[in-house]
Amino acid sequence: MARRDRFDILTGGGLLVCVLAVVFLLMVGQEKNTSAAALDKAMEQQIAYQARIEFLHNLYQPVEDLRLAGQASEALLKLDELARHYPQEAHGEILQAEILLERGAIKESIDHYVRAVRLNGDYVDKASPLTRRSGIQQLVDLRLPEFAARTRKNPQSLALQNTLTGLYYLQSRLSGGCE
Amino acid sequence: MNFFQNRYALIIILLLISLLTACQPEGTRQKMRIGYMNCNSEEETLKRFYPLTSYLSQKLGVDFELMPVDTQDFSERFAAGEFEFTHTNSLVYLIMHEESQLQLLATEKRGRYGSYTSGSIISRKGSGIKTLADLKGKRMVFGPQLAPSGFLAQYDTMLQGGIDPEKDIAYYAIPAGSFKHEKVVYGVYFGQYDVGTAPSLDLELMTGAGKITADDFNIVAESPIIPYCTFGASKDLDPTLVENFRKALVELTEKDVVSYQGEELKVLASAWIDGYETLEDSDYDLLRAMAKRANMPPYQEF
Repeated sequence: MARRDRFDILTGGGLLVCVLAVVFLLMVGQEKNTSAAALDKAMEQQIAYQARIEFLHNLYQPVEDLRLAGQASEALLKLDELARHYPQEAHGEILQAEILLERGAIKESIDHYVRAVRLNGDYVDKASPLTRRSGIQQLVDLRLPEFAARTRKNPQSLALQNTLTGLYYLQSRLSGGCE
Repeated sequence: MNFFQNRYALIIILLLISLLTACQPEGTRQKMRIGYMNCNSEEETLKRFYPLTSYLSQKLGVDFELMPVDTQDFSERFAAGEFEFTHTNSLVYLIMHEESQLQLLATEKRGRYGSYTSGSIISRKGSGIKTLADLKGKRMVFGPQLAPSGFLAQYDTMLQGGIDPEKDIAYYAIPAGSFKHEKVVYGVYFGQYDVGTAPSLDLELMTGAGKITADDFNIVAESPIIPYCTFGASKDLDPTLVENFRKALVELTEKDVVSYQGEELKVLASAWIDGYETLEDSDYDLLRAMAKRANMPPYQEF
């Protein structure tokens, strides 16, 4: 085996430096790519969320207009019509819940609030542009003691039990509980 | 030894008795009749309620016979003892409760108001008829007279709004034959009448089915919500049977099925029902007040 001379050591050292430099550059580049991709993803989500809110506002604007004009019955029919194309849309459920509450259909209103919050937690999120937190809080504060008392008085009633369960669910979501 | 032998013999005898009573085959069981008020037609009533009746028979071990009954004849035939259980609209329940002490069993849930419903007064969009005051001098079509959400609720809403249907409108008609509620809606839609009285549930279902759109009509007024269709039981029945009947209804879920004519059918879906709920008779007080104001049975005075 021939002895390594100074030139071999220099060449080998230079080669090692080049390999290390390439590895370093690859690692740094990948890191930058990953953070750029994450930034893109977050921005995409934000844009999609803003677009969704804008879309919901536009879609349900006729319902809001009818409500403002005091035409709750026509607003409910409009919601039926929209539900044909967008069934299980949480925003439709929220509007339905609010109108039914105004009409005095309390149990059905609670059912719709529960469905809406199950579909989209934004409605109990203080920071969300969709938030309905204060309305839901008022409903729970007012109706929970009432339905608890009614259920105690009539423990056989499955309908009352169902409504009470719904109110407890809303209470739990308001306090940040998981499903 | 004798003591134990006797005890075993007694247990075996009791077991045999319970098996014999529990497994009564159809045809040898107690027979009872349920009168169902025809909503749209007899054919529709039979189709909707055979599976439910069959389910109740299986659940309660009683052979229930389904009897479709015309609305106008209902209270008279019930008073004559033609059937023991009733399924009617809430006004007919009220009449029989007053006249024959019919017991309230359970109230049907269907549509957005659950076990309640309401009546709407509609006009065609673009007609310019938007308020109760606009009804004066107009041609109007009502639903059948004993329909709480097709006649009474709207009649009362008009009275409460200062419009007397007997004096202030040009004339009113009631469609003949079956499917009266849809005839009212289409009568207004096609311009045969200026204004009509439709159950809000029918508007909801027709809109949901795409038969009409929300933009086709003005809702001139909507009544307060009142109880929907109701099951009742004769006052003379065995309280245990009545309670079991009520329980069977309120415990029904959308998953419950019944074997009917070789098929497994979903009971509630077959009957177009979302479920049943136990209401108090006092929940019908608003309807009572409406019937009194409108001078309708069971409070009609001549």
